[in-house]
Amino acid sequence: MMQHIATQGPSASPIFGNGERANRLKSTKFGGRLVNDYWDNLFSAREQGKMVVWYNGTYIPPFFHAHDLAWVHGEAWSAYLAAKHGEIPAQKAGEQWGYDRELCSYARTHIGQALIDLQKLNDGTLGIAPDDPRAETMRKLPAPDMIINAYPYCSSGQQWDDITYRLFGKKVPMFTISIPLLWGGRTDAGYLRGDEWNERSRYVADQLMAMTRFIEEHSGRKYDFDRLSEVMSYVKRAAELRLEAMDLCTTTPSPASFFDWIVSIAPVNFLPGDQNLVTYFEGVKAEIQQRIASGEGAVKDEKYRLFFDGMMNWNKVGWLADKFAAVNACVVAGRYTHMSFWQEPQLIDLKDPVLGMAQNYLICPNNHGAPIMIGEIEKICEKFNVNGMVMHASRTCRGMTNSQFLIADSAKRNGRQALFFEGDVADESFYKDELLNTRLEAMIESMDAQRRAA
Amino acid sequence: METVLSVLEEVAARPLAYARQWKEATGRKVIGLFPMHFPGELAHAAGGLPIILQEDDEPITIGQSNVFNFYCGYNRSIIDQALRGEFAVLDAILFGDHCVQLLGTADVIRANVPQLPILFNQLCSILDAEWAMRETQGTFRRLWHELEVLIGHPIDEGRVRESIRLFNRNRSLIRQLYDLRRAGRISLTGRQMQAVVKSSMVMDKAEHCALLEQLMAQLKARPPAPGVRVFLSGHLCHAPKLAVLDLVEECGGIVVDDDLYHGFRFIFADIDETAPPVDALAEWYLSRSKKVPCPTRAVKDLDWEDYLLKAVQASGAQGLIVLLAKFCEPHMYFYPEIKAAFEKRGIPHLMIETEHEEMPIEALKTRLETFMEIARRRAAA
Repeated sequence: MMQHIATQGPSASPIFGNGERANRLKSTKFGGRLVNDYWDNLFSAREQGKMVVWYNGTYIPPFFHAHDLAWVHGEAWSAYLAAKHGEIPAQKAGEQWGYDRELCSYARTHIGQALIDLQKLNDGTLGIAPDDPRAETMRKLPAPDMIINAYPYCSSGQQWDDITYRLFGKKVPMFTISIPLLWGGRTDAGYLRGDEWNERSRYVADQLMAMTRFIEEHSGRKYDFDRLSEVMSYVKRAAELRLEAMDLCTTTPSPASFFDWIVSIAPVNFLPGDQNLVTYFEGVKAEIQQRIASGEGAVKDEKYRLFFDGMMNWNKVGWLADKFAAVNACVVAGRYTHMSFWQEPQLIDLKDPVLGMAQNYLICPNNHGAPIMIGEIEKICEKFNVNGMVMHASRTCRGMTNSQFLIADSAKRNGRQALFFEGDVADESFYKDELLNTRLEAMIESMDAQRRAA
Repeated sequence: METVLSVLEEVAARPLAYARQWKEATGRKVIGLFPMHFPGELAHAAGGLPIILQEDDEPITIGQSNVFNFYCGYNRSIIDQALRGEFAVLDAILFGDHCVQLLGTADVIRANVPQLPILFNQLCSILDAEWAMRETQGTFRRLWHELEVLIGHPIDEGRVRESIRLFNRNRSLIRQLYDLRRAGRISLTGRQMQAVVKSSMVMDKAEHCALLEQLMAQLKARPPAPGVRVFLSGHLCHAPKLAVLDLVEECGGIVVDDDLYHGFRFIFADIDETAPPVDALAEWYLSRSKKVPCPTRAVKDLDWEDYLLKAVQASGAQGLIVLLAKFCEPHMYFYPEIKAAFEKRGIPHLMIETEHEEMPIEALKTRLETFMEIARRRAAA
């Protein structure tokens, strides 16, 4: 649901570009159904007798799924509200509590919503009109039985859960996993190699094992690692299909765009690990193959191929997809989509998946020091024949804005144009449309000039 | 006393100038540290001068090309200084903190000053985790080894113990000043107290201890003038602007205690001098945030607001001033709880958001005057 509502926003300004719209993949609609089912199941978790885990950070739901727990991903919940344009009451509640709007908008939306829920519990009201359609969604989120934090890199994640823990009166058991930064300063450091990589992989794997003991303790049931392997078999296959489908987009014109991969994040990030995930990515891959056969692109008359750097602006998914299409630019890849979410599935040994899972959590795109991260970005840009970089400076997400100037420098060194625009993950007020219009037009002109000169 | 204080003030105002002079005089290495939890003792034992890198007062110019304006003043200033070439005196930077902005700053320095080694040993930020002690000991063992490689010779355990003793001595002297000030027996201003702590972050510890001993000997019991007793809280990583501290006093406040990083937070905890050094360093690190809470660390059983309520009561302060550096995300999370706790108990409090540039001092003056008036009335009621 999140993705589909996100893509139903207003189209890019009619005075901008040629009026073309993005040619979205049809197969992603199945993901909308899966997302709907996920939230429906979650909202009825209590009736199903399931315990509910609130978690933040990386893609640890397979651990919950294997143990028959229901789970709420804080970022996904905030993105869901933002995509439904229902984030404002939650953000207002956070502001009234004393939060500054420079605070991570995922966190203040999620915490703000928890504040509304607590208020509702206390006095039987929601803080917004009972007949407001948003109220229906908001009153459904079940409170946590456990809180688990597993945030790579960011210093905002554990504080966010710490506050949730306090809001619920410090009565909900909480477990925090540290996913340390791979600084890459030692002489043997590199992508997936070196002493630091080996050490840190084991460190995170040990913490994940401790998390299963925590889950056992608070659910009163033994953890089933065979079931985890089974769940991961679907996740791994889905991840392989996703990467195979992404690789097909090196074709010109690109049959799918960054925005199709954005709406495909839920299946690799927080949906249950079952056959549906495999079916979803089989469908996406098949449609991409079919488009290649017929020469159909994600953008009509593709002239420019771009890379999107930064966190997604969940209020603007469809809006931005159309904006780039309107100047014949296909955003073919991005740091958020192409460098995370089970990015190295071959590391996962299905007989003993935990170490490989830990390693996939460690290689979150902003969890590497800049030299290694930028090296990986450059490889993707080469592979996808990228002409320019679009840098989304997401105002309240320092995790993704760190190193963006260094990334832009590397783009320029490699003959690629780069533009910056400011926005945010879940706070629409930071996005300024005309700034992006002007900068995008200027970049298009520069790329044209570059081609003429060549 | 004035002479000693003026020396400390000079070092606090120009820390890199002090480091350059020290290096010239000794021929030894200067090691920059990022705040807030990394121990300087190991760098000292290696024969270096550990200095905690400070925000300076220069407006951000060239640094703006490498950092967004929605990053805190400390990070923007550090990047600006690095790009201006100010860190040429440094032989290495050590850091292990968990602030996301600081990690980005380290990367910008690595890219722009590639000849400057940066040793990263990330501290475990979950202090009550079952693996916290083991992980922290491992961190300090790795750091020890990496420093030996950097310096080019082994670091003797005995030297580390000596450094720990010296640093403890330094902290203890500063704590004595805090005790006297809290008890109302001396009247060091906010500006002077900051000079004492900030110079300790920079200066050769033996030299600093000698100066503090002189200061202690010269200090005369002099109760502060009447005023509203206030507690300063917050302002992590970097020192609050002196103009803000001055204004608190000009508006009728007397600072009696604080939990500022450039204050009590820096010196309150000592390291065990008898335990094996790595164990002692790990214990120090893991226990200090359990005593004075830090919003960059995670500890389930500790609340900043509860600590503050007790500390304010113990110091006899009549009100709390929270200094929040703009864009300091960890601090932002915990401010509402502090606000709610103080409101609930009817203790006057004021939050001041500070900026690297353009502090609106006149507007702040009005707010501070109002706050002092409220605190006075509540105290009289």
